[in-house]
Parts: sequence; C-alpha cells; structure tokens
Amino acid sequence: MTTVDNQPVLRVVDLSLDYLTRQGPVQAVQSVSFELGRGQSLGLVGESGCGKTSIANCLMRLLPDNGQLTAGQVVLEGQDLLLLSDEEMRHFRWRRMAMVFQAAMNALDPVYRVGQQIVEAIEAHGVEETVADARERSARLFRMVGLDPQLMDRYPHEFSGGMRQRAVIAMALACDPAVIIADEPTTALDVIVQDRILRELKAVQQELRMGMIYISHDIGVVAEVTDRIGVMYAGRLVELGDTADVFRAPMHPYTAALMSSFPSISGEKHELETLPGEPPNLANPPAGCPFHPRCAYATEECRQEFPPQAQRGSQWAACWHPMDGADVVMDMQDKLDIIG
Amino acid sequence: MTGYLVRRAGQMALTLFLIVTLTFFLVQAQPGDYATFYALNPDIPAEVREQIKASFGLDKPLWQQYLVHMKNTFTGNFGVSFGHFPRPVMEVIGERLPRTVVLFLSATAVSFYVGFFLGKAIAWRRGGVLEYAATISGATLFTAFTPAFALMMIWIFAFKLGWLPIGKFLDPLIWRGAEVSANHIFSYMLLTAGAFVVFAFLALLATRKIGRFGTGRVPVLLIGLGAVAIPIAWAFTGVGYLALDILRHMILPIATLTLISFAGTMLLTRNSMLETMREDYVMAARAKGLPEKVVRDRHAARNALLPVITSLVYSLIFAIDGSVIIEGVFSWPGTGLTLLEAVRSEDLPLVMGAMVFIGLFSLLAHVIVDVLYVYLDPRIRYH
Repeated sequence: MTTVDNQPVLRVVDLSLDYLTRQGPVQAVQSVSFELGRGQSLGLVGESGCGKTSIANCLMRLLPDNGQLTAGQVVLEGQDLLLLSDEEMRHFRWRRMAMVFQAAMNALDPVYRVGQQIVEAIEAHGVEETVADARERSARLFRMVGLDPQLMDRYPHEFSGGMRQRAVIAMALACDPAVIIADEPTTALDVIVQDRILRELKAVQQELRMGMIYISHDIGVVAEVTDRIGVMYAGRLVELGDTADVFRAPMHPYTAALMSSFPSISGEKHELETLPGEPPNLANPPAGCPFHPRCAYATEECRQEFPPQAQRGSQWAACWHPMDGADVVMDMQDKLDIIG
Repeated sequence: MTGYLVRRAGQMALTLFLIVTLTFFLVQAQPGDYATFYALNPDIPAEVREQIKASFGLDKPLWQQYLVHMKNTFTGNFGVSFGHFPRPVMEVIGERLPRTVVLFLSATAVSFYVGFFLGKAIAWRRGGVLEYAATISGATLFTAFTPAFALMMIWIFAFKLGWLPIGKFLDPLIWRGAEVSANHIFSYMLLTAGAFVVFAFLALLATRKIGRFGTGRVPVLLIGLGAVAIPIAWAFTGVGYLALDILRHMILPIATLTLISFAGTMLLTRNSMLETMREDYVMAARAKGLPEKVVRDRHAARNALLPVITSLVYSLIFAIDGSVIIEGVFSWPGTGLTLLEAVRSEDLPLVMGAMVFIGLFSLLAHVIVDVLYVYLDPRIRYH
C-alpha cells in the first residue's frame, strides 16, 4: 500500500447535486463526503445511474445546464472549487485535476493530431513556453503510457481503441495534476488490453504520486487498482473503507450483494448471484434507507429513517444492521437465497 | 491525391461533353434562329436573310452543325458572337466572366462567413434574443422574392439615401478622361486580392513556424496591416479612385445577395453545431481548461463546419445561376446579363458559350470543395 500524507489532497464534504427535470428535481448525489490522500487511489463503485459520473462532473464542475449543486464543498489542495468563478475554475481544470473520460474513444477531437491535442492542454495552462518543449513533454508522456512518440502526429482515427485510451491517459497527465479522475476508462476495451492499461495507469499514478479517483461498475477492476473503495447506491455513499477490508468483510448488505454478483478467480466456485429489483427512482426516493426495498435485512427502522454511519476501524457503512466480521461471507450465500 | 485529381478531370471532361451536347440541342429546340431575328425587319430583303443564314452556317443540317460545334468547343473555338459581331465569343466571355465570378464569389464568401458566424453564435447561446432575431429575419429574407428585394435595396440605398450607385459596373462620369480601361483596373484589383490572400496565408504559416505559444494575435495584426496598406498603395498609383468606383458598384449587389442567402448557412451551422456541442471531445476540451472561445471555435465549430462546407458548392452554383436575375436587376455586365441578352437576340454562339462556361464553373466549384473537404477532415482520403 502507498504511503499517504496526513493532509488530504482532495476533500469532498457533504456534496449534493440535483438535476432539474420536468418531473421535479432528481437528487443525483446526496451528502457525499470523502477524502483522498496524496498518492492514494479511491474507487467508486455502484450500479449504473447511482451518481458515480455525476460526482466526477461535480468535482470538475462540468455539469449540464440542469445540474444544480445544492450543498457541499470540494476542497482541492486547500481551495474550495465550488467558490471559484468560472474563469478561476478554468485554471484549476487539468492543471490540478484532470480526467480520463468514460467514453475515452470519443474524447479525442477527430480533426486534430493526437499530439496537438496534448500540446493544446499544455499551452492553455502555460506549463511549457515553446511548442518544441510542449512536444517534448508530450513525447515523454507518450513513452510513459507505452506509446511510440512518433504516433503523436497521427490522427485519432488511425489509433486502435487501446492506443486511444493510452493517449487519453497521456493527455490527462499533461499538466502534472494532483488528482486524476478515471471514469470507467477501460470499459470499451477487451479484457487483456484493459488489464494491461490498468496496471500501467496504477504504476504511473504511484510514480507521479497523484491522487486518483477510479470510477467503475466493475468491482473486480476497482479492487485491482485502488487503496480505498467507496460503494454508492442511489446517489449516496453507503460504504467506505480500505479495499482489502471491504472485500474481506463488507458491512453494507448492498456491498455484499454487489461482490457476489462478480466471479472470483481465487475463491470458491459458486453460482453468480444477481440482485433482484431496480435502483429507486431518484425523483421520488423511498423513505429511510434507499436500499430497504431490495434488502433482506430490512426492518421497520430501515423504512423510517436514513441509517447513521456504523464504524469499524477505518471502514464505515450507512446501515442499521451492518454485517459483522468474517461470518458474513460464509453467510452471504444463504442471505442472498432469501433475497432471490 | 494526384491520381484522384486525374480521374476527377476525366469525369469533368465527360460531364462537360454532356453539358455542351445538351446545351446545343436545347438551344436548337427553341423556335427560330438568328436570321429570323431580322425577318420582322422589312428593310432586310429575304435574299439577304438567306445570305446571313448561309454565312453563319445555319443552312446546314442539324447533325452537321452539332459536329462542327463540338469540334470547335473542344478546340477552344466558341465562334463569333452574332450580337457583338465581329468579336469572338471567347473575348466577350473573357471580359465578362471575371466580373461575374468575382461578384458572386465575394457574395458567397461574405454570406457563408456571416451565416457560419451567426450559426455558431446562436447555437452556443441557445434561446437568446440573437437567436430569435437572426432566425426570423434570416428566414424572412431567405424566402423573399429576389428581384423585388433587390429593387427594394436599390430604392433604399441608392435612390432614397443616395449612398451607393444605382447599378452598372462603373460610373462613366468618373471614368471620362481616364487613360486606362476598366478591364485593366479590374484585373489589377483581382491581382491585389490574390496577393492579399497569399500574404494572409503566409502570415499564418510564418507564425506557426515561430513555435511559441500566445502568438495567436500576430497573424491577425499582420493581416490587418496588409488590409490597411492596400488602399494606401492604390492611392499612390493615381488610379485608386477608379478602383474605388468599381468597388462602390459591388457593394449593393453583394449586400443583397448576402442578405437573401445567409440564412441557409446559418441554420445549417446551428443544427450541425448543436450536434457537435454534445460530443465528448467538446466536453474534454472544456475539461482541459481551454477558454470557452477556444472550445467553441477550435473544437465545436471546427467540427460543425464539415457538413456545412458541403453546402458551399450548392451555394456557389445557385449564386452563379441566380446571376441572371441579380445582374439583370443591377445592370451588372457579367455573364448572367450577357446570357439574357444573347437569348433575347438569338445570339446562339454566345448563349452556348456562356452556358458552357457557367457549367465549367460549377464543375470547378465542385472539385475545389471536394479538395477542401479532404483538407478539413483528416478522416477522408481519396484514393
């Protein structure tokens, strides 16, 4: 595990986001708080539509017109980004916090050479003075992500999917950011390329001691690259802890269900479980714990009130009946049978 | 690319052959010939009429006329104009085609620029006052009846306000006593414009060669200086006032053409822009912390330009086709007006010559836009 400075590089406090729709406000993100240390990586997992990408967009302040931040702070290196003007924010983007996009395939502009698009970012933030220096820097980044620098003068359509993904990672590193947000960066790639790029991303992140937020619905991938893991459900962070702890002993029933729906290579062979039901409609979320309609352990208080944080070491879960210790994994099979 | 251009040239030759053939038979299909033009004139006896017919070869059978015509056309001999006798058709067209091409090329360029600029602005800020104003006025002008609108423009700006000349290519009062011909001045004006374009291109290229950031204003400054230097240089030649006179005559037709046609490009750009603004690379450009103007112009609008540029070839061809009307209203002595006069006086060689050149221009416009497209979209390569 990476060493972590005491002072977190990124601190998100009580972040809440609504999307204004004709049916009324949709609470896409509700009271999400977490910290990210320098050189640390945090995974955010959850089903589609649980607010993972919305959090990424909040951090970069790249919200659609109908997105409205209702509360919270995003403190990057001591500066609350949500208090900045648009022009001030522009200087923070990419310079201090960069992003590897969900649809990385389309994040490159088809009409410009790939190298030029990296140089453009370097130019916008004045990281280098001359075009030659910027190109040299881009070439270094290309080598770092395993691309031949000669490819800089090619157009995106001449790249394969994996090459584009590497180029997009190189672009994200262009201004030496303190934090990098990777939003499902390898979803569109085949498994072998995906695995190789994940390893390289992880290596680069540790080498440059950047904070990384890795967003994915694939809990197996997240386990591979992150130090800590946050589980999201219906716009809320429901569990947060060291990756190893969460995997060894999940506290939230949703985390347990999510884990059992993915195959394990080393563990015992068992049938893959699917979690029945749908995530709630965020325009009209259920009262109490949003997971209660799908939860086998739900009791009256779960239906009434949102649960407090149950703490266990550095791990916590927002649950009235947190699962307990080692018996959980053994027990999980039976519990899930009840749900099913 | 070279192979492509060669093949394209072959296609053009074939198309041109079809145009010449079609033009010939279309013109022959109309009743009467050049000699019947004189039939109504009682002063010309029937024998003389027959003599005229024979001297122009109009007494030969149709297929013979066609073969002679085809041979002549492809050896560059368009014959002698009946109406401007004895000037060859080539000479008449050579004098008038540049006027038409310059007027309509400028008008199309201005209209395209205005349309593209407004289109990207209203797409970027949807629902603003500008969007409603530009869309409503643009659509209204787009559907206006061209001759009526052109007359209205003349009435307002030339007649009522007296700012601009009413029509024609030049003002004879100003040119009285001038020692150079209008064509001479005009060709020098064309040369100046060409040199300016080359200069602007070189300025852009040179700035890129410097290889430093933040030099975006340098070419703008250089081009601005060039734009100021040109009128000063012309003033020193002593014939600057003549060039100015021709320029003044160009303003009203260009303004009219721009107003009636910019809406097409504007609406197309707007729709194309609304598509590209949703693309991931535009989001990525914004995430990179690029200034909004750069995101808009260099990424969203640059990609939105691709489908719009295709429409440019149609705009050009429509503009040249429409030259018959616009040149008629503004008495602009270009090919459009020449064609109209030639048709009225059954000046068949001139009619056919003018039509072939208009066809040739359309073909060239097509190829130029195709080549431009390759330059603008790296994904497209012709093999």
